[in-house]
Amino acid sequence: MLVLSRKVGESIVIAGGITVTVLEVRGEQVRVGVEAPRSVTVHRKEVHDELVAANQAAAQRGRVNVAELPRPR
Amino acid sequence: MMLVDSDALGTIEVPDDRLLVLPDGLLGLEDARQFALIPADDMGVYSFLQSVDRPELTFLTIVPAFFFEAYEPEIADEDVAALDLRSPDDAQVLCLVTIDDQLVTANLLGPVVVNTRTGTGRQVVLHDQGWSTKEQLGMN
Repeated sequence: MLVLSRKVGESIVIAGGITVTVLEVRGEQVRVGVEAPRSVTVHRKEVHDELVAANQAAAQRGRVNVAELPRPR
Repeated sequence: MMLVDSDALGTIEVPDDRLLVLPDGLLGLEDARQFALIPADDMGVYSFLQSVDRPELTFLTIVPAFFFEAYEPEIADEDVAALDLRSPDDAQVLCLVTIDDQLVTANLLGPVVVNTRTGTGRQVVLHDQGWSTKEQLGMN
């Protein structure tokens, strides 16, 4: 892993098109700003990991009996 | 019209207006980009989202409004731009369903939003809107 030290207001540039800026440091919390092209999705890692797991869990195994599924109230 | 092979559903004729392109795929499944949306009931509640390229990849989806009246996803500007959404009327929201024994849940944190005008879709993330990946559908 590449490790860089940055101060508040300083940035790093990734692949020429993505800029990550340290906006604020308060105790254990760091606020980070990301500027990226619209085609680049940016998510908190724990949210990303949760969605990957959710998608894998949602991929169907076997057939579904639709008649047995919950109906709207 | 396109013939789509599905391990779960067999071979299905899908009209062109039910073919979707997800240019970024689904999170963790970025290689599957072409899907067919196949009605699973005649009320429009459940649909199958079938990968066109991977017959083994089938999802069950719901139109969330049928189950979650309070669900009003706010789509981020970058997602609106990526989908080229010009009117809320063009957006169709689908949530992936997971069946785990008797427990049936829907992913309301990361819905798939489709631009019905263009047939392009994208899985978006509703940050800080209070929804999880495992919202339970009505009780069985």
